[in-house]
Amino acid sequence: MTALRIAPPGTRVSPLVLALAAILIVLIVPPALFLLNVSLHETRPDGSLGAFTLRFYRELASERLFLSSARNTVLYAFGSSAIAIVIGTVQALIVERTDTPGRNLAFFAAIISLGVPHILYVVAWLLLLGRAGPVNDAIHFLVGPAHTIDVYSIWGMALIEGLGFVPLTFLLMSAVLRSMDTSFEEAAIMAGASTLRAFWSVTLRMGTPALCALALLFFARAFESFEVPALVGLAGNINVLTTTIFQAVHRTGMPSYGEAGAYSVCLVIVVAMLLFWQNRLSRNAHRYQTITGKGFRPHILDLGPWRYASAAILLALFLVVTVVPVAILIFTSFQPFYEGLSIEAFGRSSLNNYRVLLGPGSFRDSIANTLILGAATASFVVPFTALCGWLVARRTPGAVLLDHLATLPLVFPALILGVAFLDVFVNAPLPLYGTLISVIIASSVRYLPYGMRYAYSGALQIHPDLEGAAKIAGAPFVAVFRRIVVPLLAASLISTWLVVFLLSVQVVALPLLLVGPGSEVMAVTLFELWQNGQVTELASMGVVWIALMTTVSTVFHLLTRHQQIAA
Amino acid sequence: MIFDHGRTLIVRFAVTLTISAVLAAIAGTARAQDILLSRRPDRDQAILDGARKEGQVVLYSAAIVNQALRPLSDAFMKKYPFVKMTFWRGDTEEIIAKLGAEERANNLVADVAEGTGVGDLAVDAGFTQPYFTPQVDVLPERYRDPNGRWSYTRVSYFSIAYNTKLVAAADAPKSYDDLLDPRWQGKLAWRVGTASGTPLFITSMRLARGEDQALAYLRKLAQQKMINFGSGSARTLVDRVIAGEFPIALNIFAHHPLISKSKGAPVDSRLLDPVPSTAGTMVIAKGVRHPNGALLLVDFILSKEGQQILADAEYFPVRSDVKPQPALASIIPERAGVPELFLSPDLLNQNTALSEKIFEELFQ
Repeated sequence: MTALRIAPPGTRVSPLVLALAAILIVLIVPPALFLLNVSLHETRPDGSLGAFTLRFYRELASERLFLSSARNTVLYAFGSSAIAIVIGTVQALIVERTDTPGRNLAFFAAIISLGVPHILYVVAWLLLLGRAGPVNDAIHFLVGPAHTIDVYSIWGMALIEGLGFVPLTFLLMSAVLRSMDTSFEEAAIMAGASTLRAFWSVTLRMGTPALCALALLFFARAFESFEVPALVGLAGNINVLTTTIFQAVHRTGMPSYGEAGAYSVCLVIVVAMLLFWQNRLSRNAHRYQTITGKGFRPHILDLGPWRYASAAILLALFLVVTVVPVAILIFTSFQPFYEGLSIEAFGRSSLNNYRVLLGPGSFRDSIANTLILGAATASFVVPFTALCGWLVARRTPGAVLLDHLATLPLVFPALILGVAFLDVFVNAPLPLYGTLISVIIASSVRYLPYGMRYAYSGALQIHPDLEGAAKIAGAPFVAVFRRIVVPLLAASLISTWLVVFLLSVQVVALPLLLVGPGSEVMAVTLFELWQNGQVTELASMGVVWIALMTTVSTVFHLLTRHQQIAA
Repeated sequence: MIFDHGRTLIVRFAVTLTISAVLAAIAGTARAQDILLSRRPDRDQAILDGARKEGQVVLYSAAIVNQALRPLSDAFMKKYPFVKMTFWRGDTEEIIAKLGAEERANNLVADVAEGTGVGDLAVDAGFTQPYFTPQVDVLPERYRDPNGRWSYTRVSYFSIAYNTKLVAAADAPKSYDDLLDPRWQGKLAWRVGTASGTPLFITSMRLARGEDQALAYLRKLAQQKMINFGSGSARTLVDRVIAGEFPIALNIFAHHPLISKSKGAPVDSRLLDPVPSTAGTMVIAKGVRHPNGALLLVDFILSKEGQQILADAEYFPVRSDVKPQPALASIIPERAGVPELFLSPDLLNQNTALSEKIFEELFQ
């Protein structure tokens, strides 16, 4: 509501903002109401809602594990966000601002990493860092068998979750750095600042909105994330809030979502406060507007011999974030069972898992549905949030509401979002239940916050003079957005499209309850393998998936290369 | 006047329509109920004719798609080409969530639902209606529900799994009391967050030993620093045992280690006295849209042919005239000479909540 307050008196909320808000309300309010309702009512044995109660809120706070879970959650959120943001930003700086050889491969690496389904990424890291994994084998060999790293710890959780989000940081930060006018850095260097100092005090400061956007995204996401807490945390008896709630949901026979609903409602409030704080920051938006009408060529730092050091850093990141986890999946996919890395194990390799997987009647049926799901979700989310993000960055009256609405789904735990949407669609007046369209709508809602944070931080960089000039020249509003804003944002819009595509095709919990017989998507097959299959079959499915996603991403990259260069 | 007359007509029409809709619904339910409970001599022919008219049937099941559901639907449609059978696969909790949402919204897609725990949860919630199938006559007594609320489809036996490289066969626990040996401290993993995990172990202990002794036993077990494994699937836990992460896992499906062992994996299962067992249950949804097709499908899944498909998919059939896969037969308690404790849905229903509570107090 800040925007409304500081807007000049008499300013009216524009019909466009109202229209966008209406779309968001239609999309987001029904599942949000479901969450609110289950948190405020008893659940009857048949799953319908009974008497009003506040007991879930009381129980949430008096939960025996609440304090320790909350502390673990904060540590986990801080740790994983810090790892993702620091590593991803360093990577982006090296790629965008130095002459390090081979730096463009980093994009390729990021795309492959994003194509690895999160659940498999976690499994790969557990195979690597587990008690019987190659890392501990090496430590035992070098230091002695008494020394073992324990991955089932809060640090193991933060590391695995953090590394998984490095590619997202890298893609956003490199888009930001690429479109940032470097004349400020040059001025600082001319004034006698060292290169490092210029990076620190100018480049990073200019990137503050993007860093805040990422921090908000990852921090809130850690509060909602489930795979790492379930697979890594629980095995080490470390509870975070989501796993405590998960156990509450499954406490008795009929699942009860009261506590989970209460938890999401509390998270909504926390995120609203974070957004409020971020909006205050953008009051000084002009400080970050670096995209002006002036032409500029990004300042590329000549590192001299140091460029081999930076190349080594990139290579190390490439190995750790992409190659090693993917390699361990490939290795596992050829095994009849996984028993650690050994010469003996190599001898057992065979193509059996692939034969089963690629045989008739497997996931091949659902490829088309999956690609439609990903493309439709990304094609809705990206333009929609670009428009919203721009309106918010321009502090258009009422637009702050768009920001809050579009960020809200970030904190709906995936655990319960599927149930909420099931309830919405099965009761909807339109016959959407069981169709692919219902999955597309649900997955668009889930990824709105990602599009929103990326678009907003991109739009903040654009100096309004350009738009002002266009308006004075008589361009209508739509033309300003289409001809000025979109081309300037192209680089970040394209990478956002790819991010949303790759994330939405791999979500399992959400489509599972929404699809009907015959409209399955690939992620459901993956989930089934996860539930019933052996880890080696799961790995082979993962390898095929990664190959497919890499192909799709490469084709997309080639098709849009022209745009990226233009930007 | 004309306007009034028109309005009266409309009101009359609406009232007639509503009454006939309600009557049709009641009649429909009654008809469906008659069909489902029919024991008339022409029952088989009647449901065949009815299914032909309905033309389709939908199954929600927790069984594996590739090895079980797809072959089932292929064989069913080969036998009855005039009925299109489609299926949706989810875990028990998801099946209940989806079926429940459909029932509450009166927007039913499922006709038949199947899975471990599906019967008791769905019946309890009032999502089902009773039915009769002549196929139960050939089943052993304990796999029949006298009230016709569900039928049993496949059996599961629970045991421990141990990594044969980390634990020699001679050392592996042979009884529940062996699990209390201090040398296993911090080495025993079990699954949390699912009814077939820790609650099932605790329930079987309470039923086998009585409340007091079970509680004394579980208190000692809590001293063993149990590893609470939270990823949900028993198969995954066995994979972690094979990888050497956990030397011993409790309460896993006894046949999973055998399947991996046959491929050379360093793992084995051991039955402890008593061996807990459960059975998957199959229900027909309340307000079922294809009652004849549903019965035809239920009959088929329980027939020799249907049970053979489940056996081929590495499940244990409920029919005694269908044999499980030879490699898996060794863990059938009767053959191994170890007493079995069959946990019927009713037994689990009565005990799970308290078992959960005991788990939270002692092990969390």
